[in-house]
Amino acid sequence: MTEGGMISVYEDRPEGRMTHVQIDGRGQVTAFNGHVDLGTGIQTALAQIVAEELGCTLEAVTVVLGDTGRTPNQGPTIASETIQVAAVPLRKAAAQLGQFLAGEGARRLNAPLAEVETREGRALWQQTEVAFGDLVAGHNLAMRLDPDMPVKDPAGYRIVGRPVGRVDLPAKVTGQFDYIQDIRVPGMVHGHVIRPPYAGRDSGPFIGTSLLGWDEAAIATRPGFLAVVREGDFLAVVAETAHQARTLAEALPVHWRQPPPGPDLSDLRHALKAAPSMPRVLERSGDVEAALAGADHRAARSYVWPYHLHGSIGPSCAVADWNGGAPVVWSGTQNPHMLQGDLAQLVGLEPDRIEVRRHQAAGCYGRNCADDVAGDALLLARALGRPVRVQLTRAQEHLWEPRGAAQLMEVSGGLKAGHLHAYTLDTWYPSNRGPNLALLLTGRISPEPRSADMGDRTAIPPYRIAHKRITVHDMAPLVRAAWMRGVSALPNTFAHESFVDEMAAEAGEDPVAFRLKHLDDPRTRDLVIKTAEEAGWQARSGPRLRREGRMAYGQGFAFATYVHGTFPGTAAASSAWVCDVAVDTRTGEITLTRVFVGQDQGLVINPDGVRQQIHGNVIQTASRTLLEEVTVDAITPAPQSWGSYPIQSFDTLPEIRSMLIARPGDPALGVGESAAVPAAAAIANAIFDATGVRLREAPFTPERMRAGLAELGGAPPLPAPDAGQKPRRRRWAAWAGGIAGALTLGAVALPMARALPPQAAPSAASFAAPLLERGRQVFATGDCAVCHTAQDGSPNAGGRPMKTPFGTVFTTNLTPDPETGLGNWSFAAFDRAMRRGISRDGHNLYPAFPYTAFAKMDGEDMYALYAYLQTLAPVRAAVPRARMVAPLNLRPVNAAWNLLYLDRAPLVDDPARSQAWNRGRYLVEGAGHCSACHSPRSALGAEKGGAAALSGAEVDGWWAPALAGTAPALRGWDEDRLFAYLGTGHAPGLASAAGPMAPVVAGLATLPEADRRAMAVYLASLAAPDVAPAAVPTLAEVTPGPGARLFRGACASCHEPGLAGALTAAQVPLARSAAIRAPTRATLRSLLREGITAPLELPLRDMPAFGEELSDHQIDQIADFLRARYAPDLKPFPDS
Amino acid sequence: MASRQLRFVLNGRPVQGEVDPTRSLLDVLRTDFALKGPKYGCGKGQCGACSVLVGGQVARACVLRAGRVAGQEVTTLEGLAPDGRLHPVQQAFIDRQGAQCGYCLNGMVISAVALLRQDPAPDRARVEAALRDNLCRCGTHREIVASVLLASGAQADD
Ligand code: FES
Ligand code: FES
Repeated sequence: MTEGGMISVYEDRPEGRMTHVQIDGRGQVTAFNGHVDLGTGIQTALAQIVAEELGCTLEAVTVVLGDTGRTPNQGPTIASETIQVAAVPLRKAAAQLGQFLAGEGARRLNAPLAEVETREGRALWQQTEVAFGDLVAGHNLAMRLDPDMPVKDPAGYRIVGRPVGRVDLPAKVTGQFDYIQDIRVPGMVHGHVIRPPYAGRDSGPFIGTSLLGWDEAAIATRPGFLAVVREGDFLAVVAETAHQARTLAEALPVHWRQPPPGPDLSDLRHALKAAPSMPRVLERSGDVEAALAGADHRAARSYVWPYHLHGSIGPSCAVADWNGGAPVVWSGTQNPHMLQGDLAQLVGLEPDRIEVRRHQAAGCYGRNCADDVAGDALLLARALGRPVRVQLTRAQEHLWEPRGAAQLMEVSGGLKAGHLHAYTLDTWYPSNRGPNLALLLTGRISPEPRSADMGDRTAIPPYRIAHKRITVHDMAPLVRAAWMRGVSALPNTFAHESFVDEMAAEAGEDPVAFRLKHLDDPRTRDLVIKTAEEAGWQARSGPRLRREGRMAYGQGFAFATYVHGTFPGTAAASSAWVCDVAVDTRTGEITLTRVFVGQDQGLVINPDGVRQQIHGNVIQTASRTLLEEVTVDAITPAPQSWGSYPIQSFDTLPEIRSMLIARPGDPALGVGESAAVPAAAAIANAIFDATGVRLREAPFTPERMRAGLAELGGAPPLPAPDAGQKPRRRRWAAWAGGIAGALTLGAVALPMARALPPQAAPSAASFAAPLLERGRQVFATGDCAVCHTAQDGSPNAGGRPMKTPFGTVFTTNLTPDPETGLGNWSFAAFDRAMRRGISRDGHNLYPAFPYTAFAKMDGEDMYALYAYLQTLAPVRAAVPRARMVAPLNLRPVNAAWNLLYLDRAPLVDDPARSQAWNRGRYLVEGAGHCSACHSPRSALGAEKGGAAALSGAEVDGWWAPALAGTAPALRGWDEDRLFAYLGTGHAPGLASAAGPMAPVVAGLATLPEADRRAMAVYLASLAAPDVAPAAVPTLAEVTPGPGARLFRGACASCHEPGLAGALTAAQVPLARSAAIRAPTRATLRSLLREGITAPLELPLRDMPAFGEELSDHQIDQIADFLRARYAPDLKPFPDS
Repeated sequence: MASRQLRFVLNGRPVQGEVDPTRSLLDVLRTDFALKGPKYGCGKGQCGACSVLVGGQVARACVLRAGRVAGQEVTTLEGLAPDGRLHPVQQAFIDRQGAQCGYCLNGMVISAVALLRQDPAPDRARVEAALRDNLCRCGTHREIVASVLLASGAQADD
């Protein structure tokens, strides 16, 4: 019994008794539907239907979608079925409830039933009325759904058919709405999944069997750690917070078996045809072969559709609570009831033991990772016995989502007497329904190739053709693939509507008139005719090739009826496109400038909603047609971020007009996908009209357009924008050979230095405070901590690898640990090491340690530094052995090097110069050891002197720009800018510190201002006098290509933001970037791979690292684009 | 990294907390301050879903470490309507239905607020340029542009 009363309408279904609609004693109505809102607004449309039939206000209706515990199982929310199919029982239930309330109202008002009206939540008769709530109060009644319940005549609709705003928008626009990503459950912890290396694959014996081991001990004592959970190839780390879970998961050493190479998808046409498939003839009429043979004109064409990402803007997320064996799973799934079954199989429960609560997620338009992550969360919740939330990363979503399937269509056809006489279509669609990843990874289901039968959507052309044969080749996925908006109907229509257009041109007829000649269905003819008329279609008898300078303009037509469900399927709305394109014949760029969509969807529930669906379909599908493609590179199997998968942006939007054909008397048809279906063909046809080029493979990239134009001889081919890179050659070997020849002979004759006895260093407390402060400053000037701290290591405990041309050396432990650090070093031993590069035990240190600079320090500074080091917290950390290229691992060779290059003469003040200059020189050349990075080195690894000193050098993949000579003057460095830079890492408009320089500045920033000023004075004096700063080069226009696209997707939001004044990582215009102007790509490679993590104490910005998501080849493509665009005055980077 | 006291002004209110300053501002806002406006979309500054205002400038909270906002004013979607009265940009997004799934909405609204502060009467091209680094998968672009134009007082033609 419900307090206050409740009247409901239910249906007994296989999954149990399900309520469709109910009303309580306050007049509040709740409707239940098994479908979900994928961003298309069905929640609003369903509320309209219920309010209409029931006679209440829209505001009184709440719609519950997709919770398995409360809503009927109405199958997956696919194929635009909600309004057409799933809403039918709900509509009847609402009508039944309305009829019941009208009867109750009649009784209460003492009125004849036929005269009682229900409206806005009230029953009305003459001047009297009673609210629904009052009719319900005190009654509890559940009525069985009457399947024959009559529903309202559309002519009397008051709410359906009127534009209505989305009901969920106010909460969304204020940040109050709970998306699945916002669900928080008491006691919840966080899982981070670690996916296997076979990203995006779902069949083969290695699935579920590739995990060899992991080292839990490496993370088990770190903060927040709760568990590592593994089953088959399912592996995840659970921690208290999401940040901890991710950090720990990334730190966990995991060993996987290397998967076999993936399918070669570089030639999709070939890959799709070569893979196993099963032909299924959908329709056969007449005698196709004979008709083709007897045709006046015949053609065979093939069309290729690429893999796409669903690309939800929010990566998938789920929360699961094991709840003592009656789990509750919060999910953004498209198919709550199907997920329920999958989850039941995953954990061995009966489906009805599991409740799936559906929340809205980011718009998905097909099968993304929402179901997979629910499986992940449930496995973890069971293992931990606590609610667990799992949020996938962008890379995980991109890599693992079942992609929108690629498709190959082969058409042959013939004309006879100006009519399409024969037509065959063969279509290959490699997809299944995306089995739940957790089921695959844990081995619950076998990883055999499975195929689905979804390649047949709109496979039958709408035209009257005497002889035809339509065949779909069902096949298992080559990579994880499932349905995406328009499913196979979109590519199939690309083929039909391109081919028909081509035949029209062949027949010398107008493409619209030619289509009409073959169309019988009056409703379809009506759509085609009205759309062409309203859109201002210009009749033609062949491509018009309109040109204005280098631009070509054209208009194209295509239409389709979207057919969904099992073949022969059900028709959803029909859409027709007329679109205009502009083609830049020089660069090959195609701009979709205008789209007119005519649509027949029967009864329109919410015109605003329908128009929004049309806009969404147009923009999303234009994006897929013109820009999108999942590329598969040998190393990185798929794009991992938006950087390498660009989608439509605001600055190239087409103008969109739509026309909804009014058919209030016909049943409502689904509109979620229809307007997407004609897109690719319409655009291709417009391109043909503009240029005479037929593009038959999407996406229609500038490269493909240029190739098409070149084939026609229409436009001069441009040089390829990004030439292929050769693999990096290493120069080290040659260098090392040089030093070997020069030094080995002499080396054997040289004595080793003697060892100095161990001697406990004075205690930290024995040093006076001013001495320690001085030592701290020397330490900061020399930035000892930077090199002497390993990544993730204890500060100053050494172990950081220093790559040199001769091999890798590791920095030493500076802390006063007696065994592994400086705790047993006397000052004499320390001083000798600093000045002569000889360790306490007598062995020579490698010249990567810049003792040639430290030799110039004065004695007091040296002692102060020694004292300061003894106050550091001792850390026990042995330093790894150097790995040198022979014969440098004979450390005595270094002794010979010292003889050649070590200048132990102290600096003498230059009386002709200011005190500041002399102090600056002392800091720069002594403790600061700037030349260690900024001076080039000779083949023997010695800093070059003379004019070459401080003339810029590449160190460990970073370019340390010139500090002396004309280069700094040309760049505009002067004393004030240097001073600003040394204190903040940033000289406005000129430079900001990156890579190893950022921590250097963090140290310098702690020096007395006078010292920084002195360094600036000295450094400024090194710049060539009387050289005016060079103008910043103007940006060059670069031929569109992969580098430009990667930049647009990965970099432009910060470096060329559309909205000025944003707080982004970019502090310096790229035209000033030293990395772009460096002699080689090395610095850009380092920057792009590693990003910038600048010390928080400096007013610098951080740049994300792209090393994980972009391949080396892609990084080089960006580097080359940057060079061409921002440093057009320089030659391209040399091939390294 | 170890936690430190982090103080800043969040939606007009001074706040503080023990926070690892190297965590992303987005994570801190969503986890420690339980905000739902800023969204995780890409974590790489590529989509705009996480946008907030820092000292009035649009910033992508996913690539901004929390330590960077010490002492600064941070405004999120929630902070635009502090007393329950909608910001004109928010109202315009309702009036012009500038969302389908709405996951991108936060970035669109925040960018629009920043744009209109710089230029109270932008034309369509300016609006489109200003939003071009914000991704929307639902194809709501036209309604979004119309919403911003409405907020600026201009009449959108669709
Ligand atoms: S989540 Fe920050 S820009 Fe995408
Ligand atoms: S409305 Fe869904 S991403 Fe923009």
